[in-house]
This record gives sequence, structure tokens and C-alpha cells, in this order.
Amino acid sequence: MTERVSLSHGSGGRQSQQIVAELLAPFTRRGIGPELEDAALLPGGYAMTVDGFTVSPRTFPGGDIGHLCVCGCVNDLAARGASPDFLGLGLVIEEGFSAEELRTYMESAARTCADLGTVLAAGDTKVVPVGGVDGVLITGCAFGRVQTPHPLSLGNLRPGDHIVVSTSIGRHGATIAASRFNLDVVGLESDCAPLWPAVRPLLALDGLRCMRDCTRGGLGTVLCEWAEGSGVHVALDEESIPLSPQVRSLCDVLGFDPLYMACEGCMAVAVDASQTDRLLALLRASPLCGEAAVIGQVTGGEPKGMVSMRTLIGGERLVDMPTGELLPRIC
Amino acid sequence: MPGDLRAAVEALRRLAEESATAVTVMEVCGTHTVSAFRSGLRSVLPKSMRLISGPGCPVCVTDQGEIEAALSLLRRGVVVVAYGDMFKVPSASGSLASMRGEGHDVRTATSAMDALRVAEENPGREVVFLGVGFETTAPATATLVREARRKGIANLSVLSFHKRTPPAVEALAGAADVQISAFLLPGHVSVITGHEPFRFLADRFGLPAVIAGFDPEQILLAMVEIARQIRAGAPELRSVYGTAVRPEGNRKALGLLDEVFSVRDARWRGIGLIPDSGYGLRGDYGDFDAERRFSLVIVPGTPPAGCRCGDVLTGRITPPQCPLFRTACTPLSPVGPCMVSSEGTCGAYFRFHREERT
Repeated sequence: MTERVSLSHGSGGRQSQQIVAELLAPFTRRGIGPELEDAALLPGGYAMTVDGFTVSPRTFPGGDIGHLCVCGCVNDLAARGASPDFLGLGLVIEEGFSAEELRTYMESAARTCADLGTVLAAGDTKVVPVGGVDGVLITGCAFGRVQTPHPLSLGNLRPGDHIVVSTSIGRHGATIAASRFNLDVVGLESDCAPLWPAVRPLLALDGLRCMRDCTRGGLGTVLCEWAEGSGVHVALDEESIPLSPQVRSLCDVLGFDPLYMACEGCMAVAVDASQTDRLLALLRASPLCGEAAVIGQVTGGEPKGMVSMRTLIGGERLVDMPTGELLPRIC
Repeated sequence: MPGDLRAAVEALRRLAEESATAVTVMEVCGTHTVSAFRSGLRSVLPKSMRLISGPGCPVCVTDQGEIEAALSLLRRGVVVVAYGDMFKVPSASGSLASMRGEGHDVRTATSAMDALRVAEENPGREVVFLGVGFETTAPATATLVREARRKGIANLSVLSFHKRTPPAVEALAGAADVQISAFLLPGHVSVITGHEPFRFLADRFGLPAVIAGFDPEQILLAMVEIARQIRAGAPELRSVYGTAVRPEGNRKALGLLDEVFSVRDARWRGIGLIPDSGYGLRGDYGDFDAERRFSLVIVPGTPPAGCRCGDVLTGRITPPQCPLFRTACTPLSPVGPCMVSSEGTCGAYFRFHREERT
């Protein structure tokens, strides 16, 4: 049992899994717990998700916390094949926070919703004394209609399936890291974007197994969860994983692995290999997904439940679920 | 695979076949360790070539007693500022992370200068920066101390556990029970120190020593150079790092180190006391020396029962040979620092490598 919550419990890797399981235990014990997917599929063909946002800095190249919150919520729905119909927003605001700044975030959240046809259906504001929260904390709840004939799930992967990513990885995490470490990387911008328009055409494909937006913990964590969830081995090919030179150089400088850098506009997709070409053509029709690529395959081999990668220099390595916070190297 | 890499792998294979002797190369730096694993480089090496990790992870070589000293400061109400990688290193009475959980004031730094800000923001409290790392991070600590003096900040001091790479490399090159055929040396340390401090490896020990950057291409080139020297029977110090390393080093950084620090003996986890292998604050900067300000007595630590980090750090064993590896010691509940640190050898084995099932 965890004694105290640490930052690593929030980093999306193994410790996050652990604390979530502990917190859900009272529900799962009573048979009323959720499934551990991006969004929940509800009776009647609905889907629902909740996601909280706190980011430093709140405005970053490529977006701000308002836009980020909407994207994060609707992308969770999109990953399960559901349209972003309704949104609820809960704001916890620190006393003294600039109202002008808040209005800016609401403006960008509203713009993103309007583009998607998403309606703000409910909301709540709370103000807490100085120190009660760091500036503002925004929690979103998104609700929509499932548009796939079969549930997409991380338990669906079968040997032979292809793994596809919709765009180059790690841009959001790298952008935030660059701001935090005062590194000026020319041309580096968060990928923060709503993915529903890009993935909607995929839903008609036979053999679409699973989708996940690669947020906290990045692509590497998502694929580890898939390999575990389906009990299969996933083999990646490093050379085919789209990676911008900016993300690559930032990761080099700080000693980060781009596989674990957060994305906010990148979908990982598992699909029956016979449908891969159609899927890629559909994805690439979206301006957000021009770099969509097949990056690996599900195999019937060993080690089951794990991810391995053929590296750029032709070697092999494991891709393990991360533990702890991402830390810059100090030597 | 890009053509030049394929050519390097091929060249290495040919050289290994021709010389037909087993070659053990120690990579001194933790970043080399991680890069070699992450890039899959270890799996493309010829069977006769082996990479073992050395004492180049700054967190891992910090002695148990040094961590205890930092924890004792926390118990006295001092604010301790440290690099994030230090936080979870366990010692007998806890870790910086567990102390923070209990309400002590530990702050994460991404650069030494963060400590200056903390000290300025908390004028009524004593603030101590935990200086760990090698020649690459020590200049940042030196800058911190100089700035603190210039600004007249009286509530900041430094606990300097900074270490010098060449004496540790020398200790290992001369160790009777570790068979090392060659050294892979870190380019970024050499940018500061220059070539000279490592020349003894070839001159006195007859060992090839190659300075390289961190990307897998550089490491491969260095391995080719090492294999070539071994086949030719002509060990020497070479750099494949290109123009970034000037033979004389970085004069400005060296000057800064010399101004603020004096060389002293230091205790390395797993190796013990190595003469002249540490940086302590010079007498002129004694006011900023936390050991002096708080009259700290640093007692050499004993490692946790069963932990063989010391043997891992000196290349005596590989992590899977430690009985605790992957059983009692995992990244989630680490016993020793080599499993905790992002640059630690045990952590790298855990994350990137699966032992053959027997």
C-alpha cells in the first residue's frame, strides 16, 4: 500500500497504475468500478471521460491550458470511437488569480469546442485561498456517442496487427520541458490538437482494434499497457517512428527518451494488417496526421506482455513501462 | 540502418574476428551506459566484445554517509536543494524523498542556481545546496558559490560531494581483480578537463582509451578505434568526439573550479576512499562550506544488506549477478542507488534488458 502520494504517482507509468488500482479498490470490491480505458463505454451507446489539467507554464508554444483541457477530454472520447458532444468544466481558482488570464483560457477552450461542435453543458467554479492550488486547476468531463460497431479496447490486439501512430511523437512533453528548463528550441511546438476529425473516418474500418492518445507517459507507456492488456508481444521499429529533429535534440540534451514524452495530439492505433493501407490513407487526409506511419507489429512470439524495439543501429532493446518522474541527467 | 553505421558494425565484427581475444571495455559515464542500452548497441557488438559500466553515475557513487549528512541537515530544519535524481536514493534512515514526505523542506533543482533563488526567497532560513556530480556539474556549483558571495547571501552554503573522474578511473585501471582491456571516456567531461588527465591510461597501464560523445554512432566509432588499437597492439589516448574537446580543456571552467574548490580525498560508494578524487570548498570560500557551517562529521556508510552496487560500479559483477536484482530490488522499491538513478547500471539493465531464461 502506498503511504504517501509522490509526484511519480502522477507521471503515467507503473506507479500511476498502482495508485489508481488502490484508489479504485473500494469500488471494484463492490463490483461498481470502471474499466481502465481512456473513456468509459456506458449503456445506451454513450461514452464518458474525466480529466484534470494543471500545467506549468499555462501558455506554451502551440496552446494553453484551456485548449489543452478540451483536447485532452475529447481525445479520450475519440480514442474509444465516441464523438465529443458535451463537455463539463470544473475550475478551482487560486485567490488573486488574474481574471483576464482566466478569460483567455475560456476563450481558447470555447474556440476549440466550437470547431468540434461540442456544447458546454455544465460547469463549476471554486475559489480557494492563496496556496490552495497553483493558479488554476481545470477538470473536464466529456460525454458523447459511441460510433463504432465493436468496442475498441486494449485487450483486442492479435498477432499480426499493425501499430500505427498518427503523427510525430513527444512534441507536447518536449515543449513543456523546454519551457521548464529555459531551453529555446526553434520550431518546437506542442502537438496539442483535437483528434476527433482525424479519427472519425477510421471508425468504419473492419479490424480497427484499439486507439489511445499518447498523453502522460507517451507512446512507450501506451504500448506497454496494450501488450499487457492483450497478453501479446509488440515489436517496434525505431527507424519508422516519426520524430521531429526538435524533439530529438531536446531529448538528447536532457537525457530523455522520446518514447515516454507526452503527446496531446497523437493517436496510437492498432489495426488488422489487411486494413493498414486504408487506415494510413484516411489518417493522412487529415492535416494533423501527414506523418502517420506504421511503427510496429503485434507478434505471436516472446516475451508476451512486453514491448521490444529494433533500434536505429540494428540492435534490440526492451521498451519498459516507465517508473518515477522523468528527470534531466545531471552529469 | 544508415550506411555509415552498418559500415562501423561491419568493421567492428571484422576486427574482432581478426584479433580473436576477448575484450572488456569499461564505459566510465552513466550517460554512455544508458545510451548503449537505449540504442541497442550492446546487442550488435561482436560476442568477444563486452561493455561493462563504471563509476560514472554521480548519484550512484555518492557514499551512504554523504546522504546521511544531507538528511541530518533536514532534521535540523535546514532547507536542502538537490538534483531530482538524488531524491529516491535510500540510505539507512530514509531518503530525501521520504523526508520530504514527512514534511521536511527538500527542493528539486534543475540547475545549481536554483539554490540561490531559494536562499533569496527564504532569508530567515538556512539553505544548503547538495553538490553532486563530476567535472561537468562542479563548475555550476562553483558559479553558485561565487554568485552567493557577490550578492552577499549569508544563508546559503554548499555540501560539496563533487568528484573528479581521473583518480577513480586510475583506481580501477590498477585494480587487480577487475580485468579491463580498454576505457570508453566521456566526451563532455573531457571538454572541461582536456585530454591530459587521461593520458596515463595508455602511458602507464598500456590500455586503449577513447573519448567519445553519447550518441550510439560515437560509441560505435570508439569501439572500432579500441578494437583497432588492440589488434595493432598500440594503445593510445584518442578522441572521436571531434572539435568539441580541446586537448587543453575548457580554461574558463577549470579556472572557476580552481578558484572555488580545492582537491581533496573523497569516498566513493563501492570503491572507498580515493586520494585527490573530490572537490571541497577552498578556505577562502569557507563561509559557504556547509560541512564547516554545521560542523558535520561524515561517517563512511555501510551499504544495505545484500546490495552489491559497489561491485556493479566497479565492473566486478553485472546487475543480474546480484541476488537482489529484479527480486528485492526494482525501480519501484530500490535497495541501492544503481537501481534508482536514471543513469544507474541496474536501472538500465532492468529497463532495457531481459536475461536469458535458464
